[in-house]
Amino acid sequence: MTPPRLPFLRQPLRLIHDRIATGLITAGGIGVLLAILAIGVFLIWETLPLLAFGDAFSLSTLSPLAWGTLKAALAAMLFATPIALGAAMYSALFMSTRLRSRVKPILELMEAIPGVVVGFIAGLLLAPWVERHLASTLLVIVWLPLSAALAGGLWYLANARLRQWLPLSWAGVWLMPWLAIMVTLALWLSPLMEQAWFGGDLRRLLDQQYGLDYATRNALIVGIAMGFAVIPSIYSLAEDALADVPASLMEGAQALGASRWQALWKVALPTAGPGVFSAVMIGAGRAVGETMIVLMASGNTALFSASPFEGLRSLSASIAIELPEASPGGLTYHLLIFAALSLFIFTFLVNTLAEVVRQRLRRRYQRLGGKL
Amino acid sequence: MKGNGLKRYRLRFNQHYRLWLAGGLLFFCACAWGQPSPVGGTLGAVGSDTMAGLMLRWGEALHHRYPDITLQFQAGGSASAPTALVAGTTRFGPMSRPITERERQQFIERYGYPPHELSVARDALLLVVHRHNPLASLTRKQADAIFSTSLDCGGPQPIRRWEDLLPADQWPYGKIALHGRNLASGTHRLFQEQALCNGQFRRDISEHPGSSAVIAAVGESPNAMGYAGYNHLNPMVRALPLINDKGTAITPSVATIQDDTYPLSRDLYLYVNLPPGERLPPAEQAFLELIFSDEGQQIVQAAGFVPLPQTQRSPLLLGD
Repeated sequence: MTPPRLPFLRQPLRLIHDRIATGLITAGGIGVLLAILAIGVFLIWETLPLLAFGDAFSLSTLSPLAWGTLKAALAAMLFATPIALGAAMYSALFMSTRLRSRVKPILELMEAIPGVVVGFIAGLLLAPWVERHLASTLLVIVWLPLSAALAGGLWYLANARLRQWLPLSWAGVWLMPWLAIMVTLALWLSPLMEQAWFGGDLRRLLDQQYGLDYATRNALIVGIAMGFAVIPSIYSLAEDALADVPASLMEGAQALGASRWQALWKVALPTAGPGVFSAVMIGAGRAVGETMIVLMASGNTALFSASPFEGLRSLSASIAIELPEASPGGLTYHLLIFAALSLFIFTFLVNTLAEVVRQRLRRRYQRLGGKL
Repeated sequence: MKGNGLKRYRLRFNQHYRLWLAGGLLFFCACAWGQPSPVGGTLGAVGSDTMAGLMLRWGEALHHRYPDITLQFQAGGSASAPTALVAGTTRFGPMSRPITERERQQFIERYGYPPHELSVARDALLLVVHRHNPLASLTRKQADAIFSTSLDCGGPQPIRRWEDLLPADQWPYGKIALHGRNLASGTHRLFQEQALCNGQFRRDISEHPGSSAVIAAVGESPNAMGYAGYNHLNPMVRALPLINDKGTAITPSVATIQDDTYPLSRDLYLYVNLPPGERLPPAEQAFLELIFSDEGQQIVQAAGFVPLPQTQRSPLLLGD
């Protein structure tokens, strides 16, 4: 039988504290929800006059910006997803735990770099260098993964003594000098390759044979820079999902004779699939909303082009540039608020989807009997 | 027990500290009141960020001359100056472009008289290319054809590639990479008015937040062309001579900008709110005297702009 409830002020102090704390936290949560709702309502309210202007032409001025946003996000995800997922798969499943406990915090420190700094370095240092050494850049981008695969192949063929010195669980350490040597080799040989394959000048070849124009600040630079900024987000979430695959599943698969690749591909990934998917979605949401990197590294040219060597202009960068100058109540102002509304809805939907998927994954792990 | 311990260590002068405080205050007031302050106060100015460095240097020089005057400057862009003048927040509004008709009308509606327009320095819009670029000069129509889609200055067709400007097979090759300012900039608006004859910019001009960024971008990229203000010119780029209406190529320099022969030169303005027939207060008068003196115009040169020619250095406003 529960004890009778005393009046509020005569209850023991710890219960009163408990209630006050619960009340404050609930109020905070409700406040945050109300704030998000208020932002949404404000954006919708300020977009309504666009219906009065009623002009399809003015909305079409937003379409190159929407295209630019998608292009920048796609370029970033193309760079970030393979690297981040590869790193997550390796460090969750095959890396030695000692090394992992050091590497994971360092990779998560990447997330602390402000977008402005990344954009600044990309726009002012990386872009001119890539313009002058386009063939080298493309060669390095292609050669790096190939050389890592080459290292794997050589390791497979190596004898047992060498494999003892270079264990797979410490590959994160001994691959680094290998990759550094390979990159140096590629940069050294690239003028010769450019001479042999492209007739000495890749940009002139692109211009004359294919009509491809090369802009200093373009989608390639944005992809590299924003990919760099998005990698830690995808990495930490995917790594958590993969590390939480119950060890019994992986050990069972390997005990039944599965190779490491088979265990990864057929057991770990399908199990952690929703978590990896939600990590990629959250990375995509961040890539769409990132403003400063695109502002500084993209050239801000509103073009409808599919070429990675042409500039782009994203919705968020347009808002940052033009909203301070737009007179409130004018067409530009409402168009920019509409752009903000579409960004808001998009990131809201993407993050909600990712969160729902993650919740389902946690329930699935509980059913499998592994740790949460 | 506690009271006894405290009493022993209390300073003797504590009993009379109120008298000390009052006496000190009276002393300071007497000192301050007794000083004659001939020219003093705080001047406010709101306006162009192109002229921000210049206004601040003038403020420093003014403070050096009259230690009691300080200048407070808010750089919000040229568009913020008429708003502040009409609202009465400030008496001075520096602008890097002339005031528009609508802004002037708003001022007249509020005060009943127009703002005084003073030209305090000169500047120019330069067309810049990479320092190794061999291009000799450009006509106004060519500049319009390169930067705009509307061709309002009368060019026959848009110019997109270096092959249209330079003899065949000469470096640089390919499309002209264009660099300019973004929408928030007075330089952008001025270029649109003067060089594009109020036309439309092309969509593939890379937008930069400042003239230095434009110069840096053009300096790194051999096939680039851009426009920027004169005061940001540096050895990484070359300013193109423009061909004026008579057919001569005018190189932008201090002399050609001062006497207005360079086609894209502009004045930098200071708009003053002064009712007709009244005199300025002494602090404001001192500021204007500084601007138009030799020292003030040397400061203009140090800031990278072009000083006024000798003939324009004593406007009527100082005379009456």
